[in-house]
Amino acid sequence: MKFFNLLKKELAELLNVQTIISLVVAMSLLMLMGNVMTNTIEEAVKQEYTVTLCDRDKTDFTADMLETLRGYGAKINEVTDASEDYAKLLDNSGKESLVIIPEGFSEAVEKGEAPQLISIARMKSAAMMSNMSNTNSGAESLIKKAISDVFSQQAGLSPEDVTLINNPVKINSHTVISDKSAEVSTDMVMSKVMMQNMILPVIVFVLIMMTSQGLMSGISNEKIDKTLETLLSAPVSRTAILGSKMLAATIVAMLQAVLFMVGFSSMMSGATEGATADIANTIAAEIMPLDQALDKLGLTLGVGDYILVGIQLFLTIMICLCLSLVLGSLVNDAKQTQTMIMPLMFGAMIPYMISMLADINTLPIAVRIFVYAIPFTHTFSAIPNLMFDNMTIFLIGLAYQTVVFAVCMFFALRLFKSDKILTTSLNFGQKSKYKKATKSED
Amino acid sequence: MEKVLEVKGLSKQYSKVLAADKVSFDIGKGEIFALIGPNGAGKTTTIRMISTLLTPTDGDAIVNGHSVLKEPEKVRQSITYLPDEAGAYKNMTGKKYLRFMAGLFSTDIDTINGYVERAEKMCGLGERLNDKIGSYSRGMIRKLLLSRAVMTKPALAILDEPTSGLDVLNAIEIRKMIKKLAAEEGMSFLLSSHNMLEIEFVSDRVGIISKGHLHVTGSADELKERYNAANLEEVFERVVKGNEVL
Ligand SMILES: Nc1ncnc2c1ncn2[C@@H]1O[C@H](COP(=O)(O)OP(=O)(O)OP(=O)(O)O)[C@@H](O)[C@H]1O
Ligand SMILES: [Mg+2]
Repeated sequence: MKFFNLLKKELAELLNVQTIISLVVAMSLLMLMGNVMTNTIEEAVKQEYTVTLCDRDKTDFTADMLETLRGYGAKINEVTDASEDYAKLLDNSGKESLVIIPEGFSEAVEKGEAPQLISIARMKSAAMMSNMSNTNSGAESLIKKAISDVFSQQAGLSPEDVTLINNPVKINSHTVISDKSAEVSTDMVMSKVMMQNMILPVIVFVLIMMTSQGLMSGISNEKIDKTLETLLSAPVSRTAILGSKMLAATIVAMLQAVLFMVGFSSMMSGATEGATADIANTIAAEIMPLDQALDKLGLTLGVGDYILVGIQLFLTIMICLCLSLVLGSLVNDAKQTQTMIMPLMFGAMIPYMISMLADINTLPIAVRIFVYAIPFTHTFSAIPNLMFDNMTIFLIGLAYQTVVFAVCMFFALRLFKSDKILTTSLNFGQKSKYKKATKSED
Repeated sequence: MEKVLEVKGLSKQYSKVLAADKVSFDIGKGEIFALIGPNGAGKTTTIRMISTLLTPTDGDAIVNGHSVLKEPEKVRQSITYLPDEAGAYKNMTGKKYLRFMAGLFSTDIDTINGYVERAEKMCGLGERLNDKIGSYSRGMIRKLLLSRAVMTKPALAILDEPTSGLDVLNAIEIRKMIKKLAAEEGMSFLLSSHNMLEIEFVSDRVGIISKGHLHVTGSADELKERYNAANLEEVFERVVKGNEVL
């Protein structure tokens, strides 16, 4: 009953207007990202089959070529503009990319030389997905194909010969992951898995930061306002005080995790929709469907895997809460709260960055030990480890995190049961108020 | 007289400072006792040891028959503690705060309601109790916290600098409240202050503390007579200087 009273208060503290707003914002961001991805991918797919052309040669040959392009099913936007200022050219045409067939194009073809094609594309940003829909690559390859068709016809080759020349070898790609293999290229697997492996760590990172921030500012405010002293002098057990704080923070963190996962899966389904459209249009269905291939490779996670990931995430959150509780208790004024979150932030940031860029298991041994000593590393490597069947590393990570959690919990309990929670403080270089007080007294 | 608090040679050694050095005094039932001394004298340290927040490095204190060392849980049932410059949960309304705190002292709904009602009447905040504490003035928070500290009718209420930072009118009001509770309900109080003139009005007995030493205890009149002084401030000056010469 007293515990329930405490728990209710802790929950109310954590679920205030600010936290709810930031949660809603984060959720809508994820959903928005899903939408954006669907749009960009769809846009890019459309672009593959749209050719914006400026024909400055105007010969029978180019007219033929355009006809051939239409024959492939391409949509052709013709632009007539003699400007040599390419920026202006794009502005006038209202397009982001365009191909110019310069004068003398047909002449070169007739002479049997490789003709020149001018390809212009506007780069508006360096973001990964921002330039997807303004390249000419689709247009270029269609034109190349058209010209080589013309050449081969001139040379008297049959369409079968042409196909053979263009694809002299039929590559039958197989990807092998540990002991499983599937008929799919690694590029395809990568493109599918990458998105998931990019967004999931972001969510974990945000989750770690949000939960620790909440609990840490909660406990440090209690210390600054001295409500903690009041609590500790009241007839309730200290375990109940600590327990209610931990439980409330855990409940809120789990709630956040669930909401994030909902946002994430809606985002992923958005992205997959786009990607499926892509595959349906460009690649003939001669290869194994991607989902099936991923399944065969063990890259899709089963129920068992999700339970393991869940346990993993739970442990991570518990460690994070213990650490924030301990760190938050050492705070003496509001400014320090921000400093205190730094260790946690770096603890999450380092493995996040590294796991994004490299496979931790291939790093030099000294670096690997350092990185694996950070408990959050095991969170970021959990899903890749499960996907690629590194069960041993996953389980060692889980065991290590359990030990770290036990140690942190032990210290948190000791802190709450002794008077250290009121007397310990960290002062980074600055003079403690106690030292100042003694000095001014002398 | 029945003793509510017996402090026996309490000492606290911080890493560098000996903040309390064998402090001994006692408080009877219905008595208001004040520790007075300058900043850094060791008042808060002594009070925190009696409130079971700090572990003494030496000595013991018996509250209502229970030792702070051996039975801190039992001690916590007999006391309430109001820290100096304490705040309250800013996102809670005054009413919610009182209810929350009452819930820590009892599990019985009727008892809790009784506590809350008592505090509501005593604090005099009226309708403002429905507002968030974040919107309260310093004096309002003090009154809320003080009525919280006495709503459970503890055997001993420990108030660290109960009137610091308040204007004269608010300070007088709080002093009156304390005196009334001691006289009418037999509650005992342990106060601290560095305002010696003010403490002369409110307390039955005072203890003069500086640099961790509790030099003398006695009623204000006794001490004034003994040190031939016009007020407690002069007593304090003589006590501290006299001890330094020795
Ligand atoms: N946590 C601590 N660590 C180290 N020294 C401390 C700590 N708390 C207090 N002290 C020192 O103990 C001595 C007594 O401090 P205390 O807070 O008890 O004084 P006080 O009488 O309450 O003063 P004030 O009137 O300013 O509240 C001071 O010298 C102070 O610097
Ligand atoms: Mg003090």
